[in-house]
Amino acid sequence: MATIALGLAASRGLRPGLWPAVLTAAPFWLFLLLLHDVPTTIAIGLRITTMVASFVWLVATLEPARLVEAMIAAGWSASIAYLLAATLSAVPVLKARARRIVEAQRCRGLSPRGGIAARLRALRALALPLVLSALHEVDERALALETRGLVPGIRRTPLAPPPDPAVEQAARWALLLACLAALVRRLIVPRFI
Amino acid sequence: MSIRLLALIPVAAAISLALSAAVDAVALPLFLDTTGTILATALAGPGVGIATGVVTSAVNTLRNPTFWPFVVVQIIVALYAWAAARAGLFRSFRTAVPAGLGLGVIASVTSTPISYLVFGCTTTGGIALTTALGKALGLPPLGACFFGSFVSDFGDKAVTFALVTSVLHALPRRTAARFPWALRAIGAA
Amino acid sequence: MRSLTLDHASFWYPATASPALRDVSLEVVQGEVVALVGALGAGASTLLLVAADLAPRVIGGRLAGTVARRDRSGIVLPTPWTQASGMAFTVWDEVAFGPANLGWPAHEITRQVDRALERLELVPLASRDPVTLSGGELQRVIIAAILAMDPGLVLFDEPAAELDAEGARTLWRLIRLLAKEGKAVLLATSALDAIPDVADRVVWLEDGAVRAVGTPDLLADVAACDAGLGTSVAMVWRASGLPEPYPLTVAHAVQRWR
Repeated sequence: MATIALGLAASRGLRPGLWPAVLTAAPFWLFLLLLHDVPTTIAIGLRITTMVASFVWLVATLEPARLVEAMIAAGWSASIAYLLAATLSAVPVLKARARRIVEAQRCRGLSPRGGIAARLRALRALALPLVLSALHEVDERALALETRGLVPGIRRTPLAPPPDPAVEQAARWALLLACLAALVRRLIVPRFI
Repeated sequence: MSIRLLALIPVAAAISLALSAAVDAVALPLFLDTTGTILATALAGPGVGIATGVVTSAVNTLRNPTFWPFVVVQIIVALYAWAAARAGLFRSFRTAVPAGLGLGVIASVTSTPISYLVFGCTTTGGIALTTALGKALGLPPLGACFFGSFVSDFGDKAVTFALVTSVLHALPRRTAARFPWALRAIGAA
Repeated sequence: MRSLTLDHASFWYPATASPALRDVSLEVVQGEVVALVGALGAGASTLLLVAADLAPRVIGGRLAGTVARRDRSGIVLPTPWTQASGMAFTVWDEVAFGPANLGWPAHEITRQVDRALERLELVPLASRDPVTLSGGELQRVIIAAILAMDPGLVLFDEPAAELDAEGARTLWRLIRLLAKEGKAVLLATSALDAIPDVADRVVWLEDGAVRAVGTPDLLADVAACDAGLGTSVAMVWRASGLPEPYPLTVAHAVQRWR
């Protein structure tokens, strides 16, 4: 399974696909070796690698825009699609603001060095303005959403959803069944042996 | 759910994610990835808090799929924060920090089985190292795993509770009044 | 036909003792542009929120008096970034966001979106990601997004704040066009010099109450100029010590000089 997943990740290109998969999975192998014997390490390590590689492939293949529209076309409520999409777009904005706050405070002499107390103070000086300004924006966002008609319970028209051919649908069901089967085998079968 | 609460969730989740990334700047070994979840619960109740926790986990999972099983922890955090908010435990550091320490215990108890069964206890470098330490001290594997996550969760949750308390007290009264739970959480309702 | 009627409307923000709007009575008819002017904090933004049915429904607070609306309304708020949906990765999708939420059929959405993009001169930007746009460009996208929903009552809160001179001129022309098409427009702006060409009526708000209502000539009144709400031409005329009545625009001043 791991080889298939890694292969898929690599199919997306070396840089965006294989490399992040390897990088994310590598530390786990290291720590596993530290804590466990070799067979356990290999078993768990492969499992983790499969998870990581398949997700990396998923994320690399799916553009964020199409993910949102696909969710809506598949019947997910517009509100839930909004939650995911709005978080994804808000994170870089808040991260950039956090960087600016840290820089501004470094100019003012607030240094992250020093004892625990000083660092906690620095954390507070960073987190408080960030969180308060973000909360203040919640009201404005609510007004904008309301104005654009995104209220809970609407039936939204999907815009250019990605095509969903029968083959892919069948493949999805097959994979789901395979996962369930594997789970059953792992958890239930040992009882009968 | 009103539109304002719907707009709150992505902001709260983004706060968790941005703070987790920014904490390196202060060189403290904290996660702060439950800040938004606790804050959302203290402002708007358990439903919004749980939703925030789930969204935070979902977005984290997109970046690193190993995070997904820990959505359970986020939900437990939201429920605990609900109890704390109802009891007005955010009214001062004196009540908030012990509450945070309590959450640290519960969070590590919850995350340990997940970490152990799925990952063999290797979720982050810090936890793996402290687990190794625990093993060296002679603790059984599960115990060592608990030791590993406990040490980091303890401080992290206490600091998070303290941070949320600061935020709640810093909100202007008018703004706080419009979030259904905020005043109760700081014991001012 | 009356699109919006406020009858002795008063509004208090949540947990605030003094009202932001005091006993305001106002009517906006289809096909007319009404401009709200006043000092900062005079209540223009609040009035627009009440007209848009966002206050008190979404922001809380208390409303006294009645507000009657005949058409669907759309409001353009001053800060573009917070009005972006967060769910669209191209300008086209952003503008289509509102119509999609209204559940319109796909061909209708396409028609409205293309028309809105054309009017705001956004066609070259249609496939750009909104986060890469400048403040002025984003504001135009938001305006297009509201217009694509085809509201009968269009509300603007400082729409030209982020726009450059050329963008502002396009906007004022567009607003006049909207009125010609039969929409009712209520506009809060501090761009006083543009008002004589854009608005049919001017409402002067002070401390949440209506101080005066009239044609744009109001902005050349002694009282308005004393309050700092005169057009540039009128203010300069007054400052130079020239006699009343003050001219409203350059054209008026030229007539006086001849």
